[in-house]
Amino acid sequence: MSELRAECMAAIVAFVISIGYTLSPGPYWMGAFTFIAQPLFVLVMASYLVKVLRELRGRRVL
Amino acid sequence: MEAVTLVHFLGTALGLLGIYLAFRVGRKRVVPLSTEETVSVGHIRFSPATLWKLLAFAALVAVPVLTMVIANYHTFEGIHEVEACGRCHVMRPMITDMKDPASTTLAARHFRNGWIPQDQCYACHSDYGLAGNNAAKAEGFRHLARYTTGTYQEPIAFRGRFDNQNCLKCHRGTPLFEAVKSHQTVRPLLEEKAMLCLNCHGQPHPTSAARTPGSPDYARLQELRK
Repeated sequence: MSELRAECMAAIVAFVISIGYTLSPGPYWMGAFTFIAQPLFVLVMASYLVKVLRELRGRRVL
Repeated sequence: MEAVTLVHFLGTALGLLGIYLAFRVGRKRVVPLSTEETVSVGHIRFSPATLWKLLAFAALVAVPVLTMVIANYHTFEGIHEVEACGRCHVMRPMITDMKDPASTTLAARHFRNGWIPQDQCYACHSDYGLAGNNAAKAEGFRHLARYTTGTYQEPIAFRGRFDNQNCLKCHRGTPLFEAVKSHQTVRPLLEEKAMLCLNCHGQPHPTSAARTPGSPDYARLQELRK
């Protein structure tokens, strides 16, 4: 599988925002979670799944 | 343990776990990892490459999904509380007024007389904003975007039309409500939303004029009462 550095960096940013929102659920943290962290998580998962599928296809598993 | 404390604990723990896992996965290169050596986790033995892939799945899929579930639960449970509404300063005038013993607005009378024991905002506004149906939730996200980007003007104005069902769900069928003759006369109009309860029952919250920055009441209404 190719490296996942960018995905991990994005996930760390999203996790930090999620912790901020959990501990201090004001409108700005809520906005950051809704409009930054959640889309980042979705992008991270999509990118990860694309890489997994590519590797499985490369090895002719799929 | 209260649900709020549990959510705080779980949300923080998952976030920290996610950061740790993502850091570990991100700084390791998978190519040189051996598939022949083994690493023990409890009684289970993995090759380093397999362990890295499992950690990657946990860091980039499993823990993010759980974190989003907890945070969204936090959002949709939290918005029931009056304090959650008061966190946006544009809503503070409504809450300050509601808790003002001298106010005669509908919200203040309901609060003062204990007609709604808890989650007072949500009880009357459960059909729109983040608490409502999907269209209402989308509208709630628009409010959030406008507030956090500062692209709004005070006093804020309700775009829609207040749904009488928010009143009737409690008042319909009660002896006091049914005893008022005019309620019988206008009932079809109320049910069809051709007439608002507010037409007869007055101001629900402070007026737009009082909520306008610079007005004599504005500073007082921004002082959130405990």
